Amino acid sequence: MHIPDNYLSPQTCAVMTAAVVPAWTISIKKIKQSLPPEKVAMMGVAAAFSFLGMMFNVPLPGGTTGHAVGGTLIALLLGPYASCISVSIALLLQALLFGDGGIISFGANCFNMAFVLPFVGYAIAHAISPHWGKNKNRDLVAAGIGSYAGINAAALSAAIEFGIQPMLFRDSVGNALYCPYGLNVSIPAMMAGHLTLFGLAEVVFTVAILAFVWKAAPEFTGEKTKTGLPLKILLAVLICAVPVGLLAEGTAWGEWGADEIAATGAGFTPKGMLHGFDFSSMIPDYSLKGLPEWFGYILSAAIGAAVLIIAFRIAGSMISKGRRHDRASA
Amino acid sequence: MTEHLLKAIAGIIDSDTISEKKPSQVSPFLRLAVAVFTIILCACSGNAVFVITVLTVELLRLAFLPAERMTHVLKRLALPVIFTMLIMLPAVFLGHQSTMLTVTLKVAESVLILLLMNERLSWKEVTGVFSEIHLPSVITMTLDTTVRFLVMLGRLASRIHEAYLLRSFGHRNDRRRMSAAGGILGTVFLKSSRLSQESFEAMLCRGFNGTYRRVDGHKFSVWDTGYLVLVPVLVIFFIITQRAL
Repeated sequence: MHIPDNYLSPQTCAVMTAAVVPAWTISIKKIKQSLPPEKVAMMGVAAAFSFLGMMFNVPLPGGTTGHAVGGTLIALLLGPYASCISVSIALLLQALLFGDGGIISFGANCFNMAFVLPFVGYAIAHAISPHWGKNKNRDLVAAGIGSYAGINAAALSAAIEFGIQPMLFRDSVGNALYCPYGLNVSIPAMMAGHLTLFGLAEVVFTVAILAFVWKAAPEFTGEKTKTGLPLKILLAVLICAVPVGLLAEGTAWGEWGADEIAATGAGFTPKGMLHGFDFSSMIPDYSLKGLPEWFGYILSAAIGAAVLIIAFRIAGSMISKGRRHDRASA
Repeated sequence: MTEHLLKAIAGIIDSDTISEKKPSQVSPFLRLAVAVFTIILCACSGNAVFVITVLTVELLRLAFLPAERMTHVLKRLALPVIFTMLIMLPAVFLGHQSTMLTVTLKVAESVLILLLMNERLSWKEVTGVFSEIHLPSVITMTLDTTVRFLVMLGRLASRIHEAYLLRSFGHRNDRRRMSAAGGILGTVFLKSSRLSQESFEAMLCRGFNGTYRRVDGHKFSVWDTGYLVLVPVLVIFFIITQRAL
């Protein structure tokens, strides 16, 4: 679901970024107002979970792959606004450091995975279980359904963004300038995977971690703030297990390189992709030159998790200082 | 600049008293030895893989420190990293981007290892290690008192300087500045000799006979075994990464 650069026109990217900016602004405002600083620090751990979840690729017959996002999980643990910011930061890190998802299309990716996914998932889960926290079993079922709906809504949003490109942007001979597949191809191609295996992966990821966190990590839900040992162990296990994602061969639909797209059935490489924006990240495709792929993957997972936790803990500390300063000046 | 330097030195002592560090579960000697050994391996590494791996582990350790201590470490890490990047910037213009990256990573990794070690070890434990490795007492004592006196005298000089600034009005010429600096240094010198005499007498009163001896001995624990295992693991990983690339 990570849309690379040059699949969407710069105009589409600008519109999607403009659409997600209000979501970011409101989310930051809400977090500052209502989320305790220690929970802001927990957003880092949550973002790390989302980051790791996105590294577990699930294969689908036909050579395509997909993954869970974990946006609904964070929304249910810390609120949809926290989820919006956590997933956005995780996506930014993936784009800048690992080249997963584009730089220009960052706004579009955030709109799909950091805005649509957590808000839809959260709304549906709370609609099914209005008295959240009273009946754990009902909550888990609601979380499963919410996460399934959330990831599918995000996939549909991405499919529409892909599909409208050939309708809107063509060259003088009528060839698509960016994504060559229309809505008739993009929607079934994206939804087939997400309605089946990728949706299931999101449900399993959300429900399993939610159940574990409720049982073993009260720092997410209660007053305790220090990251406990069970949560650290879970993070370590996930980091060590990420090479499982390498078992899935092939590229996710809509994430091919410019040299691959002609062979996918398009028959040509769109001009916008040939002469488009090119950004080389520090650790492209989660691999380090000369190292076994699995080791590079583990290292990338550890770097991502550590950077996200550090960033959010510093943010939490700054918010805490700001609040103390406000109280003192009041 | 001088103020920053004083703050940095004062941090060594202050971090002991403010954070009230618990005694290290791992032998301080082992901590110090493994830290120095890792820094040496990173310095010898011919590629970035070993350095990035060690840096990743250190980042994970940093990620689970309390927020205040984490900010404290990051603030201290920022200056050497930025400074190295600026020094190495010409390499980028000469087409050696990787050189800048490798050197900056090595500096970041070395400083981070030392800062994290400092977060775990108190200054007393570090001086304890010096006596453990049978460093002559006079060196341990000189080092210990130098660090402590640097902080105290630095603060004194800073206060006198501040007082001088507060009571000086109008244009100050270079000659007056020089004479003021001489006055400050002279006062600090006189104060330092008085302080050293007083502290030596106080140490004699408390039974100091010229030798540094550790009061509490560290008992070998499971944590120490873990640290000992780290050494061959580091060496093996170092050899693999150097051979593979």
